[in-house]
Amino acid sequence: MEVAKKYSESELVRLLQQRSQHVFSYLYDNYSGALLSIICNIVKDQELANDVLQEVFVKIWRQIESYDSSKGRLFTWMLNIARNASIDTVRSKSYQNSLQNRELSEDVYVSAGTAQLQVDQIGLRKVVHQLKEEHRVLIDLSYFQGFTQDEISKMLDIPLGTVKTRLRTALTQLRGIIKP
Amino acid sequence: MDIKAYIESGMIESYVLGIADDQERAELEQYSRQYPEIRAAIDAFELLLEQNAMASAIQPAAHVKANILAEIAGEFADNDTSSKVVSMSTPAIGWLRYVAAASVILLVVSAATNVYFYRQFREASSQYQALLIEKSSLLAQNQTLQAKGLDLYQGMQIMSDPAYTKVSLPGVKADENKLATVFWDKKSNEVYLLANRLPQTNPDTQYQLWAIVDGKPVDAGMVDVCNGLCKMKNISNATAFAITLEKRGGSPTPNLNQLQVLGGVNG
Repeated sequence: MEVAKKYSESELVRLLQQRSQHVFSYLYDNYSGALLSIICNIVKDQELANDVLQEVFVKIWRQIESYDSSKGRLFTWMLNIARNASIDTVRSKSYQNSLQNRELSEDVYVSAGTAQLQVDQIGLRKVVHQLKEEHRVLIDLSYFQGFTQDEISKMLDIPLGTVKTRLRTALTQLRGIIKP
Repeated sequence: MDIKAYIESGMIESYVLGIADDQERAELEQYSRQYPEIRAAIDAFELLLEQNAMASAIQPAAHVKANILAEIAGEFADNDTSSKVVSMSTPAIGWLRYVAAASVILLVVSAATNVYFYRQFREASSQYQALLIEKSSLLAQNQTLQAKGLDLYQGMQIMSDPAYTKVSLPGVKADENKLATVFWDKKSNEVYLLANRLPQTNPDTQYQLWAIVDGKPVDAGMVDVCNGLCKMKNISNATAFAITLEKRGGSPTPNLNQLQVLGGVNG
C-alpha cells in the first residue's frame, strides 16, 4: 500500500474537488479495499457489501466539498461514510427481511453459505473479538450497529454513566490491541 | 486539566469511531484546538485505524468501479476514461434514439396536418364571408324590388281610378317620339306624372312640369326619377300640361324654346 502513494491527502482532496477523474480513479484503487473491509465488518453479505461500496464512492465523490481537513484525516471521513452507509443498509427493511429468510435456510443447511466471510477475522472485528464479552457487546452495539450510548443504556438497562465508562474502557483496550 | 489522563480515557477513540455523542464531540473538538497533544493523539489513532483497514483490505468485485464511473460519468472535469463509460451506456442511448426519431417524425406529421387543416379552415372561412356578402346584397335587391313593385301597384291603382283624368302629352315639333302622361284628380287636385319616353337629361338640367291655368303657366313641380308615377304639385283648373327642359332645380317661368311635350285636358 505504501508503494502507490503518489498523492498527499491535501493534493488528493484538492484534485477531487477539481473533479479530476484520474485522481478519483486513484482514490478508488487505493482505498476501495480498506473501505470494503469496513463495510464487511457490518454488512455480512459480500454482494451487498459491494453494492454499498459503490454507493459509498459515489457519496465520497459528490460530498467531497463538505470534507473539512481541520476535523480529521480524509480516510477517517471516508470511513465514517462507509460505516453510516453500511448501518443504514443493515437497518433497512429489505435487508432485515432477506436476513430472516437466510437464517431460516441456514438453520437447515448448516454453514452452507460460501459467500459469507469470516467477518470476525478481519479489520476492527478481529480486534474487538479479542475483548471481554461485556466490552465486545458495547462496541458491537455502538460502532457496528450504530446505536447511541443513550439507546444502549435503555436496551441493556444499564445507567448511561456506566455505559460511557465501560465503552471508554473497552476502547482503551481496543487501542492497545489494534495493530497497523 | 490532566491532558494525559484525557488522552488515555478512551474519548479520542470514541470520537474518531463516531461513537461519542454531540456534547462529547464538541468538547473534544474544543480541546483539540486548545491542546496540540490531543490533536496529535487524534491524528495518531486515525492513522492507526487507516493502517489497520489497509492491512485487512478486501478486493472489491471487478464491476464495482465500472458501475461507479458510469454513475458519475457526467461529473468529471477531465475525462480520460470516459469513452469506456460512454460505450457502456450506448445500448440505452441507441434505444432512446429510436424513440427520439419517432417523436420527431410524429411532430413533423402533426405539424403538417396542422398546416393542412389551417389552410382548409382559411378557405372555408373566406367562402363563408363571400356567401354572407352575397346574401346581404340579395336581401337588399329583394327589398328594392318589393318597394318598386309596391310603387308600381299604387301607380296602377291611380291610373285605373275613374276619378283621375288622363292627359297625354305627346312630343312637339320634331320630338314626336317623346311622350309623357299626367293623371289629374280634378276634385282633390292631385297630379301624377308618368314619364313614358323622355330622354335622360345631363346633370345640369332637369324636366319641369307646367300646368296652364287661365292661359298662364303654373309650376307643377320638378320631374325626378321615380318608380312608375311621380307625385307632382297639386293643381286646380288646368286646361293643359307641358314639360320644359330647365336648369337643375327649376325656373319660375318656362323656357318655351325648350318645350318638350304638351297636351290639353279633354272636356
